[in-house]
Amino acid sequence: MRTPRKDCFHRIEPLLGKVEKPSRYLNHEWGAWEEQEGPFHACLIYPDVYEVGQPNLGLSILYEELNEQEGFSCERAYLPWVDMIGLMRERNIPLLSLETSSPVASFDLVGITLAHELVCTNVVETLDLAGITLLAEERDEDEPFVVAGGPSAWNCEPLAPMFDAVQLGDGERSLVAMSRCIRDGRAKGLSRSQILERLAGLAGVYVPSLYDVVVDKTSTRWGYAVPKKGSGAPEVVLKHCVPDLSSTNPVAQHIVPYMGVVQDRFAVEVLRGCARGCRFCQAGMTYRPVRERPASQVIPAVEEGLEASGFDECSLTSLSTTDHSECELIVRTLKGKLSERGVRVSIPSQRLDSFGVEMASLVGSSRKTGLTFAPEAGSQRLRDVINKNVTEDDLMRAARNAFRNGYRRMKLYFMMGLPTEQDEDLLGIPRLAEQVIKVGREELGPRAKVSVSLSVAVFVPKCHTPFQWAGQLPLAEVQRRQQLMLHAASDRALRITYHGSWPSLIEGVLSKMGRSGFDLVLAAWKRGCRFDAWADQFDFPAWQEAAAEVGIDLEDVACEQFDLQARLPWDHTSPGVSKGYLQREWRRAMQAEVTHDCTMDTCTGCGVCPNLGVANVVVGDRT
Amino acid sequence: MSSLPPNACRMRVRYIKDGRLAYLGHLEVMETVMRSIRRAHLPFEVSNGFAHRMRIQFSQALPVGAASRGEYYDLLLAEPLDVQEALGLLRESTPASIAPQEARLLPRRVPALEAWVGLSCWSVDVVAPGVDAATFDQKLEDVRERGAIEYMRGQKPKRIELARTLVSCKAKDTDQGTRLLLQTRSTERGSLRPAILVNAVCGCTPLRVCRDAQWHEEPDDTLVDPMQITLGANPERSE
Ligand code: SF4
Repeated sequence: MRTPRKDCFHRIEPLLGKVEKPSRYLNHEWGAWEEQEGPFHACLIYPDVYEVGQPNLGLSILYEELNEQEGFSCERAYLPWVDMIGLMRERNIPLLSLETSSPVASFDLVGITLAHELVCTNVVETLDLAGITLLAEERDEDEPFVVAGGPSAWNCEPLAPMFDAVQLGDGERSLVAMSRCIRDGRAKGLSRSQILERLAGLAGVYVPSLYDVVVDKTSTRWGYAVPKKGSGAPEVVLKHCVPDLSSTNPVAQHIVPYMGVVQDRFAVEVLRGCARGCRFCQAGMTYRPVRERPASQVIPAVEEGLEASGFDECSLTSLSTTDHSECELIVRTLKGKLSERGVRVSIPSQRLDSFGVEMASLVGSSRKTGLTFAPEAGSQRLRDVINKNVTEDDLMRAARNAFRNGYRRMKLYFMMGLPTEQDEDLLGIPRLAEQVIKVGREELGPRAKVSVSLSVAVFVPKCHTPFQWAGQLPLAEVQRRQQLMLHAASDRALRITYHGSWPSLIEGVLSKMGRSGFDLVLAAWKRGCRFDAWADQFDFPAWQEAAAEVGIDLEDVACEQFDLQARLPWDHTSPGVSKGYLQREWRRAMQAEVTHDCTMDTCTGCGVCPNLGVANVVVGDRT
Repeated sequence: MSSLPPNACRMRVRYIKDGRLAYLGHLEVMETVMRSIRRAHLPFEVSNGFAHRMRIQFSQALPVGAASRGEYYDLLLAEPLDVQEALGLLRESTPASIAPQEARLLPRRVPALEAWVGLSCWSVDVVAPGVDAATFDQKLEDVRERGAIEYMRGQKPKRIELARTLVSCKAKDTDQGTRLLLQTRSTERGSLRPAILVNAVCGCTPLRVCRDAQWHEEPDDTLVDPMQITLGANPERSE
C-alpha cells in the first residue's frame, strides 16, 4: 500500500537543534508554491544538499511548469546532510518533501535530477531513505513512478535499474506529458507495466525495463540495449526538444532561499545549446541546436524576477552567454537599469577573446576573484584536436585586455589526458601561464602583483561526444604528468591545482560501463559511499573494494579505448547528433582538423536539425 | 564619507523571529530582511564603491534556534517616507515569521544599534529530569561562584565571565518544567547565550529560548526602549 500523504514536520522539528545548518530543512521559502492540493502529486529531487540543489535552474523550470498545470502539484526534496540522515534513520523518519513535509514515497511521481556521474550513490541513498523499492522492476503497483532527467541522464545506464523512466532532452513539456500519462493510466485502472509501455511511447522518454542488454561481437564488453520483444519500445529514443526557447517562461525561478546557496542570485536562461563543437563536451553535443532568447524577453524577465524575489544579483545563464547575438545589448541595458539599485549582473563563463573581457569588465562581477578562461589544452595542436578554436594570440590579447581593465588575477582551466596528448602539450600549460604573467607585468609594471592559477582536471571521456571512444589516463600516468607540470612551473606567481584523480576515475568507470555499472554503484553504496562529489566524504578504498566485489578493475575499465565501429551501451538513446558525425569528428580530431561553429558559418552536418525537425534560432548576427 | 542627500534619514524597525524561522542564523536573517526591503521597493540608500550594498544596521545576533519578540534594524533612507505605509509594504513582502511589528523615522545620526542596544531579556524553558526552580537556583549559585563558564564552540575553547554578562536570572516552576526569566548584557568581551548558561547549570539544552526584549542601558542604569529613543543635543554618530 502507498505510504499515506501527511505532514510530518513535527517529526524533524525536534532534530533541527541537533544538526548543522538547520535552514536546509525549514521550507516555506518566499516564492515556494503553497497550494499543494493535487490531486496528482509530483516531488522533484536534487540528490544533494539543499544549498547545492536549490539553485538548479532546470529543476526550477520543471517545478514551475508542473505547478502551473491544473490538477497537478509539485514539491521539492533534497538529500539531507549526513548528520540529519543519521538522526532520521535512528528514528525511522523517511525522506520528506519540503513544501508539505510529506513522505516522498507518498507521491505519484518522484523525479530525480542527474547533474553529474558522482551523484550515483546519492540516488541510491535518496530512494532508500524515502523507503521506495530500489529496483524499478520490483516496485509495487501503487508505489510512485521514479523518473530521472538532467544533463547526466545521457549516461543513466548505471542507474537505470532504479528508474521507471528517464526523460531525455528538454524537460519542461515532457515532464508534464509524463505526469498526464501516469495520471490518466491510473484513472483508467491500467497496471504499472501498461503505464510504462505508454510512457515509452512519449517523445524523449526511455523506459529501461523494456530493454534487454545484449553482449555480442558487435559490441564492447558492456553490450548494448535492445527493446524487449513485443514491448513496442523504440530502438532508439530520440530526445525531446523545445524548438523555440522564447515559447518557454523566462521567469522560472521564484524561490528565495533563506540560507546561502551556491548560486545565490536570480537566473534567467538566455540561451540553450552551444555549437562551438568542443569535442570533449557532452553539453555541447546534447543541448543542440542553439536557441537564443531575445533581448526583448530577457530584459523585462530580469526586471520582473528581481522585483518579485528581492535578489541583488542576476545571472544570465547558458553554456556560452557571450555567444548570444544580443549579449552586449542585454548587458549594457541591464547594467544601466540596475546598478543604481545596487544590483549586480553576472555572466557565468567568459569567452576567450576581447569581447569576453569587455563583457566581463562591464559587469565587473569577477573583479575580485579574477577572470576565468578555459583554453583546455597547452598547445595549438592539441587545441585543434579538441576543437577549442582559440589561439595563443587570442589568450594573450584577452589577458592583456584584462590587465588593462584592472584585473590582476586570472584563472585558467585545462585538462590532462586528452586524446593524442604528449608531454610537450602538457609542458605548454605552465609555459602559457607564465606567458600570461609576463603580459601582466608588461602592462602593470615588473613589480606588480599579478597572479595566475591553473586548474588542471583529468579528462573523462563522455558518451555522445566525439571522444566517447577514448580511454582515460591511468592513475600512475596522471601522477607522472602532474609532476612534470609542477617541475616545469618556476614563477612564484603561478599556482597549480589538480582535481582529484580518484573521483575522476570513478566518473570514467561509470561513463563506460553501461547498465552493469549498477552492481558497482550498489556495492559502493553498501560500503557507505555517498556524497562522492564532496572531497571530505569521498571514500576511494570503499570504491576499490566494491570493484573487487563485482569483479572489475577500476583502471582497466576507465582506460579502455573502444573500437570506433562497436555498438555502445548508450546507442539506444540519442540527442539527435548522429553517430556518423561523432565518428567523423573523431577522425578529424586525430588529424588535428578543426570544425567550425554552425551558428557563425554553414551547417557542419551534426544531424540534430534534420533528426529533430528543428533549427538554430539566432536572433541577431553572431560574429 | 558619502555626501548625504538633504533629506536623508533612517527608519528603525522592530521585527520578530518565531516558528520554524527561529532556526535561521543571523546572516540568513539579514539576507532575508534585505531581500524583503527590496521587494517592498523602499527608497533605501546604497553604499558607494563597486558593490553598492544596501545601507542597513542590525541589532545583535540572535542564536540559531532562538525566537524573538524584539529584534531591530535601522535602514538608511535617501528621503523620508510615510512610515505606516512603509511598514505595510514591508509586512507584505516579508515572511510572516520574521514580520516587522513597528517602525519609526529617526534622524540620520543616532548611535549604531549593535553597540547601543546591549541588554537582552529572555524567557527560557528547561525540561530536565530532577531540575525544578529551586534546584536550578542552587546550581546557578555554584556556577556564579566560579565566576565564568568555559565551553567549546565548534573546535574552539571559549570563556565567558559572568559578573557583567549575567544581569539577573529568576527561575519558576511551570507545568512542563522550569521557566527562566533571564537578563544578559553584552560586553566587548562577549555576551552570554542562554543555552550556554543552561548547559553549564544543568547539562542540557533548553527546550525553547525567546528574546522578549532588548534595551539600551544609560550610565545611570535607566533602560531605554530602542523604539522610544529620545535624542540628546549631541548624539554619537553611527555611520
Ligand atoms: S544540423 Fe547543422 S545547423 Fe543544425 S546544429 Fe547540427 S551542424 Fe548546426
